Amino acid sequence: MRRWLDRAVVVGTGTCVLVACGVLLLLVLAIASRGLPALSWSFLTEEMSRGGAAGGIAYNLVGTLILIATAAIVCTPLAVGTALTHGFYLRSRAARRRLELVLYALNGIPSILFGIFGLIVFVGFLGWGKSWLSGGILLALVMLPTVTVAMIERIDALPRSHIEAAVALGLSESEVVRRVILPESAGALVTGLLLGLARVAGETAPILFTATVFAGATLPTGVRESPVLSLPYHVFVLAQDSFDPAVSRTVWGTATVLLLLVIGLSAVALPLRLRIHDEARHG
Amino acid sequence: MAEHTTGHTSSAEMGCGTSEAVLEPVLETRRLTVTAGAETILRDVNLAVPARSVYGLIGPSGAGKSTLLKCLNRLVDLQPLLRVEGEVRFQGRSLRDGTLHPDDLRVRIGMLFQQPVVFPGSIQHNVVFGVRRQTGVRRRDLPGIAESALREAALWDEVKDRLRKPAATLSVGQQQRLSLARALASRPEVLLMDEPTSALDPRSTRAIEELVRELKERHTIVLVTHDLGQAQRVSDWLGCLCLQDGAGELLETACCAELLESPKCQAVADFLRQSGGRTEA
Repeated sequence: MRRWLDRAVVVGTGTCVLVACGVLLLLVLAIASRGLPALSWSFLTEEMSRGGAAGGIAYNLVGTLILIATAAIVCTPLAVGTALTHGFYLRSRAARRRLELVLYALNGIPSILFGIFGLIVFVGFLGWGKSWLSGGILLALVMLPTVTVAMIERIDALPRSHIEAAVALGLSESEVVRRVILPESAGALVTGLLLGLARVAGETAPILFTATVFAGATLPTGVRESPVLSLPYHVFVLAQDSFDPAVSRTVWGTATVLLLLVIGLSAVALPLRLRIHDEARHG
Repeated sequence: MAEHTTGHTSSAEMGCGTSEAVLEPVLETRRLTVTAGAETILRDVNLAVPARSVYGLIGPSGAGKSTLLKCLNRLVDLQPLLRVEGEVRFQGRSLRDGTLHPDDLRVRIGMLFQQPVVFPGSIQHNVVFGVRRQTGVRRRDLPGIAESALREAALWDEVKDRLRKPAATLSVGQQQRLSLARALASRPEVLLMDEPTSALDPRSTRAIEELVRELKERHTIVLVTHDLGQAQRVSDWLGCLCLQDGAGELLETACCAELLESPKCQAVADFLRQSGGRTEA
């Protein structure tokens, strides 16, 4: 009976893994099989034409890169600061719990609400109109909990002895942060950013009202009234609104590029993270 | 001048035939009490550590030896739940009179922990980890400082050809000597050692003990140890912390041989007997 139970557990857990991996594999195959034939140099480098039925996605790709790069730049100091506050400066357990609660609440907010928030604050109150900067800031807020929690977990796992030894050498609090905590948690920051960027690269709702348009934008020249094109919004609009069969090629091609972008982020970040991790351990 | 005292002990009371000049304490505590909420960890500890000597702190587990050590360089400040009363004096100045910043104090009072602490990075990076921040230390001085500290910690010959290699590749015994070299690089006047050989094999333990004997020519050392044999081998003075009504008290302090041979306090005699030391009281 016990042996039968053991086998059942192994089969059950194995099935869960197969289902999870299988869904991912099917998704990748479904998108890639339809999208890869559409990919070409001209598709990546040409502007969209005929409402998406022809041309490429050059500015959509550039727009998405601008948005996620802005998100990463805005998010990094916020996440580092919040994680350090949680892991180093807040002495009270209750205060740390409250901060965690705020982060988890932020993580649970539907992304469309970030879009509404951006519409009120950036588009309306600040008068930016649709702007790449609004989109970047909103995406940074969306990914902030992911990055922060990854760093908090790493800081909490840092050997207490390292901090104690650094303080015993006469290092001030800021030096301990700069020379012990940040270098030893850099791998977690990269991992968190990777996860966060992979999530927000495909987000449509936060940028829908605040940062992106379907057509007519190229490179931003300022902040006010300076929207960008983007990959997820391109897919969203074409898949919803177009009845032109020629558009499906563009839709699947764009979706494939989005998928490759996410995979590419992982491919760049994972070795980087491993190298940082290795350096942190062995120098 | 009493040669052997129990209870509260001042530097003047610690005689053992040593001259007054040597007896001038580098570190002193006066009625030092440490509490954590309602719990008292240390009570009324009066300690005097003479310069250029090894002061061994012995006592049962939980008697507050490590806490006492951390009071001496204000590392106890890292534990906000602990409350420190009484006075700690370094070279005659109170640690809390505002004249000596804790960070500067810790440069002058180095510390070696129970487990070796190796920071990510190379051997050389580890040695100069603390000294790099000090004003007046130039980048080009660092290799020389590292060499000097490694020589003082008797590690130079073993690592001189691999200073750029990761410190984590050293053996545990070497890592502990590396930690010692890092503390020595800041040229501290006092070294606090919290059971520095408890994680080491006998060979590495002997190496550290030999170093302690050499280092006392230039440094004052306070050594917490559970090993009475080690205390006997390296200490000039001994203080015994024992639990009294749940709080650690420094019950007796004297020259090493005297305390081990003929303890005056019954609790100290009991501790020594249980630890395999002398039994007379």
